[in-house]
This record gives sequence, structure tokens and C-alpha cells, in this order.
Amino acid sequence: MTAELLRESYHIQGRNFDKAGEISSEIKVILKDLELDAGCIRRVVIVAFEAEMNVVMYADRGTLTLILTDRDISLEVVDEGPGIPDIDLAMKEGYSTASDEMREMGFGFGMGLPNMKKNSDEFCVESEVGKGTSVFARIRLDADA
Amino acid sequence: MPELKHGFKIDPAKCEGRMYCMRACPTHAIRVKSGRAHLIPDLCIDCGSCLGVCPSRAISATTISLADLNRFKFKVAVASPALYSQFGLNDTPAQVGRALLNLGFDAVWEYAVDIELVDRAITDVVKKWPGPFPLISDSCPVVVRLIQVAYPSLVDQLLPTEVPREIAGRDVKRRYSQDLGLRPEEVAAIYITPCQAKSISILQPAEEVKSYLDGAIGISEIYNDILFRLRKDTKTLLSDIPEGLADSGDLFHWANPEGEFPNLSREHYLPLTGLTDIMKVFDDVERGRLSNIEFLECHACLGGCLGGNLTVENLYAARSKALHLKANMPSPPPEFENEVARRYATEDFSMRSSIKPRSMAKDVLDLRERVMRRKRAEDILKGLPLLNCGLCGAPSCKDHADDVAQARTEISDCVFLSKARIDQLRKIYKKGPRSSRG
Repeated sequence: MTAELLRESYHIQGRNFDKAGEISSEIKVILKDLELDAGCIRRVVIVAFEAEMNVVMYADRGTLTLILTDRDISLEVVDEGPGIPDIDLAMKEGYSTASDEMREMGFGFGMGLPNMKKNSDEFCVESEVGKGTSVFARIRLDADA
Repeated sequence: MPELKHGFKIDPAKCEGRMYCMRACPTHAIRVKSGRAHLIPDLCIDCGSCLGVCPSRAISATTISLADLNRFKFKVAVASPALYSQFGLNDTPAQVGRALLNLGFDAVWEYAVDIELVDRAITDVVKKWPGPFPLISDSCPVVVRLIQVAYPSLVDQLLPTEVPREIAGRDVKRRYSQDLGLRPEEVAAIYITPCQAKSISILQPAEEVKSYLDGAIGISEIYNDILFRLRKDTKTLLSDIPEGLADSGDLFHWANPEGEFPNLSREHYLPLTGLTDIMKVFDDVERGRLSNIEFLECHACLGGCLGGNLTVENLYAARSKALHLKANMPSPPPEFENEVARRYATEDFSMRSSIKPRSMAKDVLDLRERVMRRKRAEDILKGLPLLNCGLCGAPSCKDHADDVAQARTEISDCVFLSKARIDQLRKIYKKGPRSSRG
């Protein structure tokens, strides 16, 4: 059992594209402050940003929780959104349900979930249609090892 | 990693502690304690923002002067294209080149060739690059240091190509030592620089190898000497020194932030100038956005090298002159094309060693202690006024909290928490020039 060193929770407001990305920026500042490995920070920030964008694009609201132990960083993202009917399909690169409007803004190319998985050491998605989605990602601190 | 050299020095005798530099510093590397500015070397990226704002002129660039060159047998000037836009509309690059010779240089290097060579090398690298994208230009040393300090995860996206001034330095040494039978160290390759950052990149290259150049002279340092020769000494300048490739319009690519990489497609290539904007874009890159962009060309000075802090002419006038010069230049002569082709086939343009993140003065603290320190800083910050008044000597309340948490300073330096600090400041900053103070 590894001890939890730090836990921070952030509220994500759905459909607010103006503020989107602020949470991942804040997480980056914290992890840099803690002098963590640059590769590890990069992966965490990419996962956090994609997660944040998913909530902003699809859900009414959500919460992102960052948990640091002496071995890894976990991100838990829980939203109140439409849910994902077919998770396997959603995990395929290029599959997207984004509206044209979202695509015009440069989002929704169907790379979000696959990209999060690619940048995590452990990754899982649970979802219930009509209720919401939870995403869990774990990234080891010694990312390049 | 060796101790970092910096491109400027703060003269403690002149510094009046007026905090302009501290407030201007984009990486919050300056503190003003006891009425004197000092630097946290690990944080400084040599951008030079502090240089121009000092009201006491206490901060100066560490460049070399002409007199320092006497130890060399043969002195070659490699002039930043920014130099040619500093004078009158009718002063041609060829005349400025002759003024450099008259000033004591033995040759003026045909730098346009090196710029074109690196242009081609970069175009090749971008085409073959497997990712991650975007690649980031490495010609501005401030941008390179910014990445090393504040965006360490982007070091692998820095161009793996040597910068044109180094390519020029290498060939200057090779060619003249061969032609004149001198040892390479007897030939001086001197960069005429628009900023102090390039001077420091010669003293201490980011990739930790030795520079091919022997030093840099600021444009402002020789501006008057050149201007005098252009205006008063026209006879010597019209003498029959053969006109070299210095007349080619290609000289101006590098100084012009829009024209650096004409071969890259517009939609996949972003030219950025100014540190604030560059940092905004780097934040996006770190989040994994902008990966559809192939190349970011970044210059820390607003307006690119023409806006460098050792230039004299105002940026907009200089840009207009550069455009005027470019419009009036003949197309490059066949000798230019031949020389580029010859050298491109024989030289290697890859960087000699990769650039690594700059390791901060890593404290021995383990992760748990670092987390504690961060929590401590957060708690301290809650007790500060968040006005960022700077009177504690740190640029913001957050910096002060971090400094206290790292035991760099006392929390009581905050004037809101300690009346003694106000009295102390009153003593340090009492009216009148420093010389009249006790």
C-alpha cells in the first residue's frame, strides 16, 4: 500500500470552452513545482487535458481528482453526461460523436480516449447511458523507466 | 551541469533597487533585497527584458569590444542581417560591410550562404521528422533556455539542426585557416549580434559543446563607428574592395520573422514573436494541442531579431528598411547558388549534441518533503495580501511564499506583516541619489 501524498479535486463546467484547459494547466504548475520528471508531467497533462475536454464537450459538469503517491499519479474524472453506449467503439482511433461545431473549434477528432490510454500506464472507462462516465488513469512517476 | 553564465551583469554600485527589472522578468528570476537587485541564476533565460527597463542603467550586456580582438591574427565578422537595417535607406549592405572592414575586421563573411544552407537543412528535417510535432526553432537562444527551464518536456521537439551562426563560425575557421596557413584558434569568427542572448549562447551553448564562434559584439557597440564611416568617410568605403555576396537579397531572411522558412507550407508553420505569446503557444503544445502544426518559429523579441535589445533603430523603422533593401536587391547571383549547392553536399548540419532540460539546483528533498514544502508555500500564501506590490523584494506574493517555503527569505519581508520592514525600506529608499545616502 503506497501512501497518498497529495489529493486535489477540481470542478469542470460543461460546455464552457472559454475556460477549457485551465485545470490541466493548473495541474502542470503543481507537478512542476514538485519537480517531477518532465516526461511524466507531459503524460499527465495530456491525459488531464483530454479528460477535461471530454467533460466540457459532452457533459453538464464533472470532477477531476488528482492523487499523488510516491510511485504514481492517478486521475479520476467523473461526469454527469450522456454516457457512452459502446466503450470499445469509443476507444477506436478516429471514432467520434462530436458535432460539426466542436470540430470547427479543433476538437472531437476521435483521438481523445485513445490518446489518454496511450499516455497512461493503467486506464479504464466505465459508463452508464443517461447517467455519466468515469475515467480512471494511472501514470507512473518514473515514466521513461 | 556547469554553473550557468549569464549574458548580462548587474552593477551593484549603480543599482538603486528600483525593481523595474524584477517586475519585467518573465521567469521571476530577480529579487531586490536590501535595495539591490540580484539574480536566481537557475531561473534566468537571458531574455534581456531587464536590460532595457533599468532606470539606473545598472544592467549591461556581457559582449566583447573591438579591442578584445587584438589577440587574433585574422578577424572575420559574421553580421546578423539585423545590422543592415540599422542605417539610412540608401546605405547598402555592401557599404556597411566595407565600414566593418575599415573598422578593423579582415573579412566580412558571406553569411547569407549559411542562412540559406540551414533553411534547406530545416526543410529536410521537417519533412522527415517522425514526430512529436510541432518542431520548435532553435535559433533564438532565449527560446531554447525557456524550454530548458520552463517547458522541459518540449526539449525533444527542438530542431536537431545547428544554427546558422555556428555553421558560419565553423566554415570561417576552416576556410581561413586553410587559405592563410593559420591555426584555427588564430582566426576569430565574431558574430555581430542584435541581442545579448546570442552572445551568451556563444559563451555557453545550450547543448554543452564549445561554440565555433569566438565572441559577439553588440550592434549598438559599433553603431556609431559604422555610422561615422558611412557619413564622413565615404571615400574609403568606395574603394575597390571587391563586392561579395553581401549584395544578395538573401541576407535578410534571418532577421525577418516572416521569412525564415519560405519552403514550409503556410498552414503548418507558425511564426511567433514575443515571449508572452510564445509561452501561451507552448502551454497549448504541452497539452497535446497544435500537433497538426509542423513547425513553430519562435523569436523571444517582439518583431524578431530586428527588435533585439542591442539594436539601435526602432523596430518598425528597421523593418521598413529591411523590406526596402530586400525589394531593391538583385536576385542571388549564380555564384551564390553554386556555393550553397557545394556546401550543402559536403557539410553536416545536425546539432552536435542534444539539448537537455536544465536541471534546477535539485535539492536533496524526497518527494514527500517536496509535497510538504508545497503545502507550506500554499499556507504562507494564504497569509499574504495578494497585491503583488513587490516591496518584499519578490515580484509576486506567490514568489515570496515560495521563497519563504524554500528558506530563501523571511516571511517578515512582507510589509503587511512587519512594520520593521517598512522602516527598513524607508531607510534604504530615502529621497535623493544613492551617493548622498549614509
